[in-house]
Amino acid sequence: MTAAPHIEVEDLVIRYGAVQAVGPVSFTVGAGEQMTLLGPSGCGKTTTLRAVAGLEKPYSGRIRVGGRVMFDGAANINLPAEERGLSMVFQSYAIWPHMTVFENVAYGLKVRRKSAAEIKERVREALALVKMEAFADRHASQLSGGQQQRVAVARACAFSPSVLLFDEPLSNLDAKLRGNMRIELRELQHRLGVTSLYVTHDLEEALAMSDQILVMNAGNIEQNGSPDAIYNCPRTTFVADFVGSSNLIRGKVLRDRSSADTVVIETDGGQVIHAATCGRQYGDTACLSVRTVHLDIADAASAPPQHPNRWPAKIERSVFLGDLTQIHVMWGGRELIIRRAGPQHWQEGQQIVLSADPAHCTLLEDN
Amino acid sequence: MQPRERGSAQLIVGGAVALIAAALVLYPVFYLFQAAFDVGDPNVRPPTAYGLDNFLTLANYWEIMVNTLVVASAATVMALVFGFVAAWILTRTNVPMRGALEQLMAVPYYVTPLLGALAWSLLGSPESGFINQLWRAMGAKEALFDISGPLGIAWVMALFEGAVAFVMISAVMKSMDPALEEASQVMGAGRLRTMLRVTLPLVAPGVLGAAVYVFAEMLGSFSAALVLGSPNRFYVLTTAIYQLVSQYPPRMPLAAAMGVSLFVIMFGLVWLYRRLTLNRTYTTISGKAFRPRPMDVGPLRWLLFAVCAVYLFLSVFLPMATLVFASLQRLATALPAMSNFTLEHYTTAFSLNAVRSAMGNSLWLGLWTATIGIVLTGLIAWFIQRSKLPGRHVLEYIVMFPQAVPRLVFAFGMMWAWLVFPIPIYGTLWLLLIAYLTVFLPLGVRTISGVIVQLDRSLEECGEVCGANWFYRMRTITAPLLRPGLIAAWFLIFVASVRELGASILLMGPNSKVLTPAIVESFFSSSSELTAAMALIQTVVVGAAMLLFLVSTRRLSRIES
Repeated sequence: MTAAPHIEVEDLVIRYGAVQAVGPVSFTVGAGEQMTLLGPSGCGKTTTLRAVAGLEKPYSGRIRVGGRVMFDGAANINLPAEERGLSMVFQSYAIWPHMTVFENVAYGLKVRRKSAAEIKERVREALALVKMEAFADRHASQLSGGQQQRVAVARACAFSPSVLLFDEPLSNLDAKLRGNMRIELRELQHRLGVTSLYVTHDLEEALAMSDQILVMNAGNIEQNGSPDAIYNCPRTTFVADFVGSSNLIRGKVLRDRSSADTVVIETDGGQVIHAATCGRQYGDTACLSVRTVHLDIADAASAPPQHPNRWPAKIERSVFLGDLTQIHVMWGGRELIIRRAGPQHWQEGQQIVLSADPAHCTLLEDN
Repeated sequence: MQPRERGSAQLIVGGAVALIAAALVLYPVFYLFQAAFDVGDPNVRPPTAYGLDNFLTLANYWEIMVNTLVVASAATVMALVFGFVAAWILTRTNVPMRGALEQLMAVPYYVTPLLGALAWSLLGSPESGFINQLWRAMGAKEALFDISGPLGIAWVMALFEGAVAFVMISAVMKSMDPALEEASQVMGAGRLRTMLRVTLPLVAPGVLGAAVYVFAEMLGSFSAALVLGSPNRFYVLTTAIYQLVSQYPPRMPLAAAMGVSLFVIMFGLVWLYRRLTLNRTYTTISGKAFRPRPMDVGPLRWLLFAVCAVYLFLSVFLPMATLVFASLQRLATALPAMSNFTLEHYTTAFSLNAVRSAMGNSLWLGLWTATIGIVLTGLIAWFIQRSKLPGRHVLEYIVMFPQAVPRLVFAFGMMWAWLVFPIPIYGTLWLLLIAYLTVFLPLGVRTISGVIVQLDRSLEECGEVCGANWFYRMRTITAPLLRPGLIAAWFLIFVASVRELGASILLMGPNSKVLTPAIVESFFSSSSELTAAMALIQTVVVGAAMLLFLVSTRRLSRIES
């Protein structure tokens, strides 16, 4: 599903004085797609979003939306935010406290000089979209956080912008509400078919809501791909580590046993692991990522799995976390972490067989 | 769509207010400096020769320098003692009625040194002062004290500046995390040891900052020294400048040199103050306001209550009561006969053309200064805090400039500047309006900035993304959200304008009299009873304005919630 590019960002660089905050970064978002910028705080994701919105002046590069040039450093073009025709949901919601819910949502329509009847109709539609019709006459101070969030979304959609920008819109909600809003927002985005750029530091949110994820770190793009590719085929140690929890394993490449699809490494502890290359190149040493949920434990006595990745190991400790149990095992002189659902009955010091499907052991690009 | 033109609307307005502010501030400062270095023919402008002679001549006035230092130092020490003791009592002990006392501690500031000086001159002048009269009536030969000496002037200044010191020091004490003291106690240190080793070192930078600030204010203060000192030829720098300008023939260059010197010293002190308070390595300020657990002082708390009550009595109740008492007598005396009481001073005050026009002028100026002032300072504050306008930091410095200069000195520069201005506004109310707008720039900008920084930036950015241009955003989002701050600034500027003395006394002309200088004039040339009546009328007007302000803000906040 690749749509025509709607948002195009090329070689974008953003500086604060002498400090380069972002870039250069390039990416495109297809029409009707949801792209998420994911990364730790301070990685430049919000700054990038604000540059697209026109709230931050980039240092150089180009930004085009729907073929229209919004920013071009070389041509000295920088459209002010009010002329870009985009819309945005802010982290703090930014619901104007001196206006009613209706006035908040009507703002973008009033600016566009729509008739009173049309404003009324479209505000009603937008509020219906977020199930807030009953609150039209309330003031913002009378709304809960979740309700303010909905009004912010309605306000952003009301004037039918072609692009919606989201700046960590769910980060101020409690965990439960966040889970629900995630699904609602995703459905809304599908229903409106609007192109959106979404910023978050929450992995689950990114995986649940996006067509495309852009993982950012220290102002640069670490990986750009579908949620599935980001999760299952992390490109760098940063992505492997940030996107879910991974065991990173480094070792010497055994060239004679490796191929284009499979790489075999031997760790300092003498353990041999088979892993998928994901089409990546490798040198004399390589680093692998194995997700904590992709490691299996079995009794020393049980039948071995049908792949070469199995080793004897010893249980160090087992920590009950609720939905999951985190098990630390001693493996070839180092510790590995395993997370498993369901009741676990491992004893400290118990000898077990550890295994991992080679398809779930991923070669990382060495950086 | 014309992106270029619309995007630059903000730039044009921003540039315009920056230019206005810079012109208001820098134009008079330039002429102040020009006059200070003018050693040519005094009757020719622009100057025919420049030099340092005026500053060298200042050496002949060493007595005034000593006077200024003595008065300012004594007043600073007293104000700090008042402020520190009151702050400690009200933030650290379980003194009775703490909340009410804390509110009342701000009142001396609103009484103003001028009223205090007028009242204390009635109380403490060596011959006719009420207290000295009573003292003699009890059989004493000599006066109990003399309010017109340096210590008397310092006493009156300290009474009113004590409230400022209190606010500053109690802010420091409140912002200190009580856990720091508790930690010391948990480690086994006693209360005294904790006080000496933890509390004092922690509040020391804040108290030092307050000391520097108060000292700078004292150097520039004018009204108490004018009312109490100048009748018996005791001058400090500010009153000497006024004397040099208003005597015949005036000695403008010398006054300017004095003003520049005072300005440089005060500027240095304000800079020092900012360094002391900004570079605080002890992070007692953590953004949160703590309510420290008050110490239980047992029955001693009634003594501490009495200490606060006495301060409020001396700085508020006694002066006001004295003015009322004096204004109702034909000839003010400490022990009047019943037949001596009269309302004639009030009828005189209201019937005198000069007073009526002065009152009208003051109100007119207050209304316009406040109204134009909030638009101007609101825009300036917004551009400083929110825009990416180049040079906005320079603008901030320029705007805060008048704060570091006594208003009298600033007015001198203005007088000199507008005398040569092609449009003849010298001696009119317009000049006073310009002067007020200039000297109250810092007040307005500070008040409104304080509200702007509390506004979530994204409230405005959201309007931007919604497609609203700058004017529309200002009108529909920024201004309505700032309304409480704008109203507060309006009343602060209004009250300050109606009570302005230092700038007005130099700049008003025969046809543009205003109230406060008229009160001072009356004190020097008519009776102190009439003066007291006039001062009280002004107080009532200002008080009514403040009451209106309180009521209107209460109502607004009730509507909003």
